[in-house]
Amino acid sequence: MSVRETVLNIFPSKYMRPRLRLGVLLLLAVALAACGGVAGGSWAGVSSSQSGETIYVAYDRSVVALNAASGAVLWEYPDSENRDAQFFAVPVADNGSVYVGDYKGRLHAIDAESGARQWIYEPERKTLIGPLSPDPADRVISGVALSPELAFFGLGSRNVVAVSRGDASRVWTFETGHGVWGTPLYLDAETSPRGEPVLLVTSLDHKLYALDPATGDLFWSVNLGGAAPGDMLYDADRQRVYVGTFGAGVAAVDLVEGRVVGRFQTEEWVWSSPALADDQLFIGDLGGNLYAVTIGDDGFSQNWKVNLTQEAIRGTPLVADDLVIVGARDGYIYAVNRASGAEAWKKHVEGKVLTELVSVPAEDENGPVTVVAGTDNRDNLIVALNVATGERDWTYANK
Amino acid sequence: MFDLIINPFITILLFLYKILGGNVVLAIVVFTVLVRLATMPLTLKQQRSTKAMQELQPELKRIQEKYKNDREKAAQAQMELYRQYGVNPLAGCLPLLIQFPILIGLYRAIVATLAATPLELLDLSGRLWVPALASEVPLQNKFLWLNLAVPDPLYVLPVLVVVTTWLQQKLLMPASASSGGSEKSDQAAAMSRQMMTIMPLMFGIFSLSFASGLSIYFIASNLIGIAQYALMGKIGWQSVSGRAPAEAEAKGLPRTAEADPVADEVAEDAVQAKPKRGTGKAARAQQKQAQPKKPAPKPNTSSAAPIVKPKRSGIRDTRLERSQSKSKAKS
Repeated sequence: MSVRETVLNIFPSKYMRPRLRLGVLLLLAVALAACGGVAGGSWAGVSSSQSGETIYVAYDRSVVALNAASGAVLWEYPDSENRDAQFFAVPVADNGSVYVGDYKGRLHAIDAESGARQWIYEPERKTLIGPLSPDPADRVISGVALSPELAFFGLGSRNVVAVSRGDASRVWTFETGHGVWGTPLYLDAETSPRGEPVLLVTSLDHKLYALDPATGDLFWSVNLGGAAPGDMLYDADRQRVYVGTFGAGVAAVDLVEGRVVGRFQTEEWVWSSPALADDQLFIGDLGGNLYAVTIGDDGFSQNWKVNLTQEAIRGTPLVADDLVIVGARDGYIYAVNRASGAEAWKKHVEGKVLTELVSVPAEDENGPVTVVAGTDNRDNLIVALNVATGERDWTYANK
Repeated sequence: MFDLIINPFITILLFLYKILGGNVVLAIVVFTVLVRLATMPLTLKQQRSTKAMQELQPELKRIQEKYKNDREKAAQAQMELYRQYGVNPLAGCLPLLIQFPILIGLYRAIVATLAATPLELLDLSGRLWVPALASEVPLQNKFLWLNLAVPDPLYVLPVLVVVTTWLQQKLLMPASASSGGSEKSDQAAAMSRQMMTIMPLMFGIFSLSFASGLSIYFIASNLIGIAQYALMGKIGWQSVSGRAPAEAEAKGLPRTAEADPVADEVAEDAVQAKPKRGTGKAARAQQKQAQPKKPAPKPNTSSAAPIVKPKRSGIRDTRLERSQSKSKAKS
């Protein structure tokens, strides 16, 4: 059964009003286009500078830098005449540059102070005849991992790409079995448990890959038991990474042995990485549950679990003082007591909260910390709340 | 409301994907076949209803002409006609109303499981009726040169969508609408021909922006639809070849009930006297009503000599003459 066939059966061309039938067809076509359209289809990428003074927001046609204290726009990239792509990946700031991928498979390096373009990496596309190419347009959904020389990012299809930070040339490409949506994790020789640099990549193909950052060669890989669309959390004390999965809870992968050494099973799928504080993991799942889990020598033990909502908690929980803060798809930001899970406050922000939450330190030592979150509502795209009270500090509207 | 349809569809699609060795294209094809089989009773009912309405069209046309200046009376007379023949004009809409959510569910299930964007993947959570199927999420998106989550860069699938949509439409369209002829000047027929061009192109344009997995579904659905109607004997192959119906019949090709403009003209006159054989409830009622009247010529549904009768439109049935001349030429 197809739309066209169904309509033709009901409205035979010879006898029924053709204009009516054409109208019905167009209506159905619009409905189907709305169902199957692939425009955008994501939430804003939100991050902060290392100092916490600037918030970077990638949403739709532009990347914006905001003053973290006031929400004032510092710069916008690209300028209005050159907006030829969509941005939803998390921007990453380092050493005077902001790196962000777009929905054309490109990576942009932007001057962190002025918002001017430093360089752009454009993927090469083989062509057959004229514009025909066997390489489909790809999307950068993941954030960017940075080594001193290279920038690493995943593509929506299946590849991981390493690009030179100096001249934007491609250094290597590694192919996984499915999309790479989570931000890769780069560990330098000092941090890495094996004493050599390693790039960790999660994929929707259920695997975690450990790669040589210089060449893209595979060190090892491990099956996580489910798709891993989110970021990883590195636990330097235990030399592990924690990865949220679809259907297989949160997996703990030992980086020395290259295998899953523990797993905390959640009720629903986990998209994001957990937050770590004082040997406790805080995990949000897509069923609206928030968990506090103690990491023990022989596995995980659950301290508390609260069901905050029936809607998804997509982003990584934010630990601030004695609170754990999460955003949810129901349009609320929740703060619960870190020790008990009891609700401290919740704030409706008029838009689904699916982005990562960003903590902005106070200007003076005793001042209030601010939590910054993104919504899917352009009138209210970024909201900044006082962590202690949940009161709104400022809002950024993206027109 | 759609969740009641989409969720089981997603579960079934993932189950098929699992048991068919992780072949997403095969899963989509089998899934389409299953949905078509499940909706077959609705399709048949819809066709029967449509056919009954078609049989009443000459009468309805007369009513419209008779009461062309009085819409209220025309509506009353139409309702009386429906009541008299036991036809419900809305009976064809009910299957559509049931099929439409199924159709939308099918699309949504394929889009969600391919998970081309983060929001689509997020939307998949909580929809599986069998939690163990989470291990299959998302579907493998690589097939031949394609990434099934994005449009085909080589435009092969959009072209195939256009061709198969056109072919199916052509095969199911009445010959009069598709190949011109007696109703060439008729606005409805002209618009039908326009639709035959617009529709395939519209679906082709969709395919340029939709995930390739949906294009696979369009193509599978079209081909399965052609096969289904062929098995039901409702395909008008002569529409594609461009041959006139009588010529096609003379060559032993099948013909559809709708594919004969002359038969329709004849039926218009004969409807009060004697309906076509095996044409359902309305036809039987017409037959009953027509009994006291003078027997009318049998509609042209067999190889019997066709009625050669001048019509208001000036159409004359020349099929027999043409087939005889062809036979002579052959011999």
